Amino acid sequence: MGWVIRQYTLPLLLAIALHAVAVAALYRGFSPEAAISNVIKPVIVRSHLLVLEPEAKPKPKAPPPKARPKPEVKEPEPETKSPPRAEVKPEPKVDQEALRARLEEARRQERLRTMAQTAFDDLLEMESSEIAAGDAEAVAQSYRYGIYERVVNNWSRPPSARKGMQAKLLVELVPTGDVVAVTVTESSGNAAFDRSAEAAVRRARKFEVPRESDIFERHFRRFALLFKPEDLLR
Amino acid sequence: MPEQISIFELISNASLLVQVVMAMLALASVVSWMMIFQRWFFLRRVQREVDEFEHHFWSGIDLRELYAELEGEEALNGIETIFVGGFTEFNRLSEQFGAELDSIMQGAQRAMRVALTREEQRLEQHLAFLATVGSTSPYVGLFGTVWGIMNSFRSLANMSQATLASVAPGISEALVATAMGLFAAIPAVIGYNRFSARVEALMKRYEAFSDEVTSILHRAAQARLGRQ
Repeated sequence: MGWVIRQYTLPLLLAIALHAVAVAALYRGFSPEAAISNVIKPVIVRSHLLVLEPEAKPKPKAPPPKARPKPEVKEPEPETKSPPRAEVKPEPKVDQEALRARLEEARRQERLRTMAQTAFDDLLEMESSEIAAGDAEAVAQSYRYGIYERVVNNWSRPPSARKGMQAKLLVELVPTGDVVAVTVTESSGNAAFDRSAEAAVRRARKFEVPRESDIFERHFRRFALLFKPEDLLR
Repeated sequence: MPEQISIFELISNASLLVQVVMAMLALASVVSWMMIFQRWFFLRRVQREVDEFEHHFWSGIDLRELYAELEGEEALNGIETIFVGGFTEFNRLSEQFGAELDSIMQGAQRAMRVALTREEQRLEQHLAFLATVGSTSPYVGLFGTVWGIMNSFRSLANMSQATLASVAPGISEALVATAMGLFAAIPAVIGYNRFSARVEALMKRYEAFSDEVTSILHRAAQARLGRQ
């Protein structure tokens, strides 16, 4: 009996392992959509908030000193204290005070300008490095914006559309950019809205797509499009 | 992956009968693979044993010595039982007084044939199961598919507006059953064909071997009778 069991354990384990591998392969690779990670989302412009308060100055100033003339770096401390002082004691020596205030104001303007300039430079630098880092991704991204724009332009708002509605569409293109199929994969909950989104893609009919076939294949052959117009009524 | 239904969702959404069919097919597939592995290991071992034994047998060893050697072993493998069966019978009959040459040889042959038949049965074990899985599981899968499609069309009849999207999932889920049937059947058929060919080859070797043993015993019996 023991022999019989031993004779079948290994084969049984092998058979089960084989099926487990098959199931795992199915789980990972059954749907080609599993690979679709390129979701076109509404255009989001990343804004870097520039805080232009004198108090915040010492910190942002830290990197620029090398590029900027020295004298300005040394200024911050006296300046930051002055505005409160001006407000606390407005009485003494009016004209001298006014003169000083004007001077201060001028310096402050100057400082703000240089600050804005450096911040802008930083941003430019950041952007160019991003472009250098992922050309393909950046190219795809720019086309994505174009596609999204076109869909929005072709969209006619149904009366029942409300703010916050969003529908996910699966769009299939051919290399010429023509739309061959579009389906709603995630409904907004409002049939009219879903239909309008689908119709918008159909009406757009043709999109600008990158000529490079590998970028097209990877990002635009089939892609999910998250349709979420910003200008909806409440 | 919300964009597309996965195969597991398809299975879990299927109707009970289709699920039962799928479970049966999955079980059949696991068991038939188990049989395939078991047979594979078994036949490989038997092949090795036959090679070793034949090599040993033809190495010029005295048959009595070989017989005594085999008597000492507690478990005999296929080809050894054939030899031992024939030789035991031969000894027993030839020790009886006045036994004829023909009757001795017939007895020995009979004993070897019995061993041979038993061995054949041992080799062919489970092959019938593989054949059954191979030939029926496509039909079982097809049954699941037909049932699933039938249901999805019936529900289509209740709809006012029929779209492809309303039938497609049902058909897709039904087709999973056929896929599973084929998945179970193909290896089983391949395994069956391969193993039955190997069993046949082994049986040929066994038969040839038993004929050779017969002729050796015949010679030995003639010599013994001649001496008497």
